[in-house]
Amino acid sequence: MDLGVGIGWRPEIAGFVGALPGLRFTEVIAESVHPAHPAPELLGLRERGAAVVPHGVKLSLGGAEPVDAARVAHLAACAEALGAPLVSEHVAFVRAGGIEAGHLLPVPRTRAALDALTANIRRTQAELPVPLAVEPIATLFDWPDAEYAEGDFLTELLDRTGALLLLDVANVYANARNRGEDPVRLLDRLPLERVAYCHVAGGVEQGGRYHDTHTAAVPQDVLDLITDLCGRHRPPGFLLERDGHYPPIGEMRAELDAIAAASGLAAIT
Amino acid sequence: MSEAGGEAWDAGLAAAQEALVRAMTAGGPMPDGFDGAAVRAAAHGILLKRAGEVARAWPALAAAYGTSWKAEFAAWAAPRPTRGSFRDGWDFARAHREGLAGEAARELALAEIGWAYDGASAPRRRRAALRRVPGGVAVLLGGRVRILGGPPR
Repeated sequence: MDLGVGIGWRPEIAGFVGALPGLRFTEVIAESVHPAHPAPELLGLRERGAAVVPHGVKLSLGGAEPVDAARVAHLAACAEALGAPLVSEHVAFVRAGGIEAGHLLPVPRTRAALDALTANIRRTQAELPVPLAVEPIATLFDWPDAEYAEGDFLTELLDRTGALLLLDVANVYANARNRGEDPVRLLDRLPLERVAYCHVAGGVEQGGRYHDTHTAAVPQDVLDLITDLCGRHRPPGFLLERDGHYPPIGEMRAELDAIAAASGLAAIT
Repeated sequence: MSEAGGEAWDAGLAAAQEALVRAMTAGGPMPDGFDGAAVRAAAHGILLKRAGEVARAWPALAAAYGTSWKAEFAAWAAPRPTRGSFRDGWDFARAHREGLAGEAARELALAEIGWAYDGASAPRRRRAALRRVPGGVAVLLGGRVRILGGPPR
């Protein structure tokens, strides 16, 4: 599958996204989709031949508790309604003990967490009509007492479940920057041939930490990391995530062009 | 307790995850072994994100606080786990009802005429209601709200 450069579909930028002449790939937050009545703009993109990937954010695959069957069914219904080639979710948990965290939280890199993730991913895959890609998150902290290095943990998870990898280049950059590590080292520990597509985004520095907010321009370091990644193994697609502080159209177009240039994929603007 | 009512895959992991979520969202103690400053920074980032989501669901409420909205909401919400942006905004508005005026008071009044909400369980749509709002009387009938007396514009 060749996806090319894409951008996450959001209601606020639906006009901009729909008007991109070369767009063949977008993503929509699964929890925002009514499978019986998807947004007409999304169906329009689908009719044009663009791949529309439902991207879940509240399934809690990394939770110690079994995934909620209704949420899995919703993700499957989104895939059907949008004719999606695959769906994606996160290597994270978002609730525990009945309390919502409000965002994606990291799982401990332990055998117990790996077992829970494996069970939840398999349960989800069993209900989905299409393949599942899982995305490692950006995190400002890690759990103590890790039993695996990050690359080994993710590789083992993909091996056990057969899931694809949604590699967020900005998350790799953010985590490495906050841990004082070299982001390229993680790329060398991951099974890059299993990458379904990549995310790209910008963040902000606050209090000495880099927050992956999706509300700022993509930093040059992230664009450079795209080039490093493609020098090893070029993934099928790169998708820009923007979730607020939407810039003027010219700037957004320039960001997409910069991603195309950094990856060697065709410009879509 | 899981959302689906299922038994945890691993009780120890479930307890550890719950302790972390309580520390980040409900004023619980920081679990051992974590970098407390980093966890608090992450929790604060989540509060700012929640403030943005509530501002989309309750635009007049957020606008009433101007540039201090995110800080005001974050301070209030720090020990309160999210129950979704609609309820978070509603709970915040009720807690600050005394200070609300104009469009923000009207936004709350319109929510209260359209939905029955006791602050504890999920809001339910009302079928019909009548309520005084700033600038007139709001009537809910057949799922539509009409303002009699006109908005204060």
